[in-house]
Amino acid sequence: MTEFCQFVLIGLVTGSLYALIALGYTMVYGIIELINFAHGDLFMLGSFLALQLVITIGVAATPGSAPAPPAPSTGAAVLAIGLMLVAAPVFCAALNAVVDRAVYKPVRAAPKLAAIVSAIGVSFIFMNMGLFWFGPVDLNFPSLVPNTNLLDGTDLRFTYKDLMVVVVTIPAMVLLTFFVRYTTLGKAMRAAAQDPTAARLMGIDVDRVISATFAIGGALAGVASVVYGLYFNTVGYQMGFQNGVYAFTAAVLGGIGNIPGAVLGGIVIGLVRALGSKYAGEEWSEALIFAILIIILLFRPTGILGARTREKV
Amino acid sequence: MPPLLDVRDLEAGYGPISVLHQLSLTVEQGEIVALIGANGAGKTTTLMCLSAVVKARAGRVVFDGRDLVAGRVPAHEVVRLGLAQAPEGRKIFPRLTVLENLQMGAYTRTDHDAVGKDIEKAFGMFPILRDRQHQAGGLLSGGQQQMLAIARALMARPKLLLLDEPSLGLAPQIVVQIFDVIRELNRQGVSVLLVEQNARMALKVAHRGYVLETGRITCTDKADVLLNDPRIRAAYLGE
Ligand SMILES: Nc1ncnc2c1ncn2[C@@H]1O[C@H](COP(=O)(O)OP(=O)(O)O)[C@@H](O)[C@H]1O
Ligand SMILES: [Mg+2]
Repeated sequence: MTEFCQFVLIGLVTGSLYALIALGYTMVYGIIELINFAHGDLFMLGSFLALQLVITIGVAATPGSAPAPPAPSTGAAVLAIGLMLVAAPVFCAALNAVVDRAVYKPVRAAPKLAAIVSAIGVSFIFMNMGLFWFGPVDLNFPSLVPNTNLLDGTDLRFTYKDLMVVVVTIPAMVLLTFFVRYTTLGKAMRAAAQDPTAARLMGIDVDRVISATFAIGGALAGVASVVYGLYFNTVGYQMGFQNGVYAFTAAVLGGIGNIPGAVLGGIVIGLVRALGSKYAGEEWSEALIFAILIIILLFRPTGILGARTREKV
Repeated sequence: MPPLLDVRDLEAGYGPISVLHQLSLTVEQGEIVALIGANGAGKTTTLMCLSAVVKARAGRVVFDGRDLVAGRVPAHEVVRLGLAQAPEGRKIFPRLTVLENLQMGAYTRTDHDAVGKDIEKAFGMFPILRDRQHQAGGLLSGGQQQMLAIARALMARPKLLLLDEPSLGLAPQIVVQIFDVIRELNRQGVSVLLVEQNARMALKVAHRGYVLETGRITCTDKADVLLNDPRIRAAYLGE
């Protein structure tokens, strides 16, 4: 029983990370029906920028060079984390919005396939940028958050690292929900997603709203990339693909285009991975995720929360 | 005084298809003008062109002294200039609440206190919308959606209101109610360009009318003259 609880805990923590990435897929899909294949790679570039930052300020070693710098003081670690949590989201937001303007906007009027192929192209470009940046080998991401157990005295492990993931991801998701539900731009995003022509008739600059959507999705990927690096302490140019696929699966599972659905899907994927690796074996957890995806899509193609959305007026 | 809206030799279409041919019409300040015509004549295309959602290929659309075509004014700027539309099929945002739909109508405005008052005014005009304000727009009946579409367009405080088939698919008593509202709005100073297949109702409420046939204006006159024109009666009034 304790073991079960332990893996549920792991699932919830990693799941909230997938949820954060999944939101970027689902928001962009919701507004322009584009599956942004480059989103996972944007996430990878975010973690690279974060790594570059800690190397530059001397908290982490340049890859391949010995020796490692001494462990930073708590103050320096907090400062470094704070810096990364500002820089990576800003970088990813700007990059995503620029790509929207430069690549997707020109093909907006063309058939959907043009945008999808462009997204695949951007994915390759991002991946190669990563390859060029830090090379093909996996890199150590500095362990700035201690691994001490907060539940000492019980049989469960919940470390500062786990806490960090929760403390960053949950408020980010709450903030996003609040933003989309109550702010004028958030309402305009939903309006443009539901009926772009009507949105234009309201005086909404739909292109601007789409750019904002890319920026917000990118910022969330940037937050996730920092949390991921600090949690797993390994990053590499291919991390965008695997995590992108998980997050995309989460988005589809929850009903693509649906924001609460993406969060729910992320949590479910996290749980399936954790419990799957415990009870079915690590090698099966990935297959399990896709099996569940296929089953849900067969019996409920709109995902868990996607059904009530597409009523036609 | 120059007309509020002055359309000259407007040409528009979709891809290789040309729909509007040298279309000219005017709407004076304070007028209700009806644009009638059969299904597919190009009425919706005309209104979408005025709202800059469909691009004009040639001609002029001078609204309140500004040429929207020459100035390449984008759709979202047109609203700011005072030209709002309640489009065909209503185009209510189905998963926004009634209140949020109204707020989107005021998207271009920055005078937030006055917006709140205008929402109250809209609720005064259509009390059912007040009762349903927290419901999703997609759950309203057709008549309620039409009221919401008109109220939403009014939230922009337009000088000219474009209405595309507001009576389509509605029960007769609702149609009467909608046309009463149009008359009342006009009394309050809103100019209206009214597109209708229900030509009788439209010409009864309008001051002047235009007849559109396959993208060309074929006839224009005072509304009561058109109502009594034998050809119009035969073609559009089912006599
Ligand atoms: N989006 C579109 N793409 C191609 N053709 C269109 C489109 N919308 C309308 N049309 C064509 O333009 C013509 C005029 O349509 P429309 O303006 O909707 O007429 P109305 O509103 O008078 O019924 C029709 O022949 C219609 O088939
Ligand atoms: Mg029409």
